Amino acid sequence: MNPLLTLLQINDSVFPIGSFTHSYGLETYIHKGLVHNSATTKSYAQSMLRYNMYYNDAAFFAKAWQLCEGKFSKVKLLELDQLVSSFKSPYEIRQASKKLAIRFLKVVEGFGAARRCKSYLKAIQSGEAGGHYPIAFAMYAQSQSISYEDALSAFYYNTLNGIVTNCAKLVPISQMDGQQILFDLQGLIQELVSSQADMDEDMLGNCCVAQDLRCMQHEKLYTRIYIS
Amino acid sequence: MESRININVERENQYSVLKESFHNAPYKLTHYGAPRAQAHLEMIIMSASPGILDGDRLTININVKPEAHMKLYTQSFNKLHSMKNGAFQDTIVNLKENSILHYIPHPVTPFKDSIFKAENTINMDTSATLIWGDILGAGRIYMNEAFLFNKVHMRTRLYRNNQLIFTDNQCLKTADQPVRDMLFFEGYTHQATFIYCSPFATGMKAEMDEILAGEYEDISFGFTDAGENTVLLRALGNDGELLYSFLSMLGQMCWEYTQHQQSLLFSVEDQQTKEDAEAELVQEAFATKKKKTMSAAKKRKRSTAA
Repeated sequence: MNPLLTLLQINDSVFPIGSFTHSYGLETYIHKGLVHNSATTKSYAQSMLRYNMYYNDAAFFAKAWQLCEGKFSKVKLLELDQLVSSFKSPYEIRQASKKLAIRFLKVVEGFGAARRCKSYLKAIQSGEAGGHYPIAFAMYAQSQSISYEDALSAFYYNTLNGIVTNCAKLVPISQMDGQQILFDLQGLIQELVSSQADMDEDMLGNCCVAQDLRCMQHEKLYTRIYIS
Repeated sequence: MESRININVERENQYSVLKESFHNAPYKLTHYGAPRAQAHLEMIIMSASPGILDGDRLTININVKPEAHMKLYTQSFNKLHSMKNGAFQDTIVNLKENSILHYIPHPVTPFKDSIFKAENTINMDTSATLIWGDILGAGRIYMNEAFLFNKVHMRTRLYRNNQLIFTDNQCLKTADQPVRDMLFFEGYTHQATFIYCSPFATGMKAEMDEILAGEYEDISFGFTDAGENTVLLRALGNDGELLYSFLSMLGQMCWEYTQHQQSLLFSVEDQQTKEDAEAELVQEAFATKKKKTMSAAKKRKRSTAA
């Protein structure tokens, strides 16, 4: 199989795992008027990548990748899964991670996924593991001879694309502005990917309190288009 | 300066009492009011120091034994002074079967150039309850010192039966992060976190869904089922005192709810033991009666045979 085509496929925003149904707290930001135009969309997206994703989902991705490259064991995988669960406090965020992981692993099961992916899916379904999308994505991508830099860049890009698409629908911002933001933040993604391995371990799972709070407030929003 | 505070709480009849405590300068640990004014234990940590100074290292050990209940208070806002190297605080908590700990310290005020790291490690039994909070302010706002601290890192880890169930990692570095803006303080000057970890968390969450249904003008807050029997609430505001009252109010609510639920659980257990004992008596009586009837029947049989 062609690694590039596989990466394009699993990272596609229409890959049927339901990622377009989640806003990860962004809907609250838009509802409260904190994100209200292209400029605030860009600054929200920048901050999310640099201060949230870098220490959370991208860091969990990197940890899972490392685990698959080295001496993989199910015990270590479950430990990582438990650690990630302990960081994901808002209910909707935890559920989103779980649902995406399950659907992702189910879809790739048909693409000759590694045995460890199947065993992770089973562990999630039996309740042995919480289930987390960054772990699932990294595990499968690593088994498909996709390079670490490409996979992680794509993972960052997918999150950014999600933010921009949601803002284009909800704020709304123009498609042109949205595409400009995607293009402008290439440098940031490159910077984060290249320094991901050197991330200070003490910062793992670092929480931006207000962002966490907005994810919690989403549970009580009067009108909700997104699940999280 | 290296300081230690050790607190051991045990249950003696209906009272929770202080056993083998220790504290050294500049801290003082004392009863908060009359020791026997209530069944649970109330202690307060006081300090003769103007605040936390550069190089200070404080270790707090809290052990709450089975069935013991404690409320631990602080005296005033925790002031972090200007530093070059930083100060540390380690808090290690052990909560045994059916114990309750309520600990919501006053807000932390980081002065210009302060560096602080607080590590909280909480080990708890499945039946134990933790009511916990922390509040961090931007600094001495009226001295034009808002967000001029260097670094404040607070990490709380909850373990239940040696399994990590919850981590709250909050690291703020004013030079590297846009701390006033989106994702961080978002225009507010104080942030607060409240944790209720208890076997009664699901019920408490349902209560909070009703009680905290409205919105407040001065505080923006959200709460969630953080999984593993934990309810987490976060809040932003502009007044440390107000957030402290808000968290204390929540703490008191959780405290009363826990005690009520425990009493229900124990009365059910008592009732069950009582019923079991009664059932046993009935069975015993029945067995004796059966034996008597059997032997009487045998006697009758023998006499007829004879």
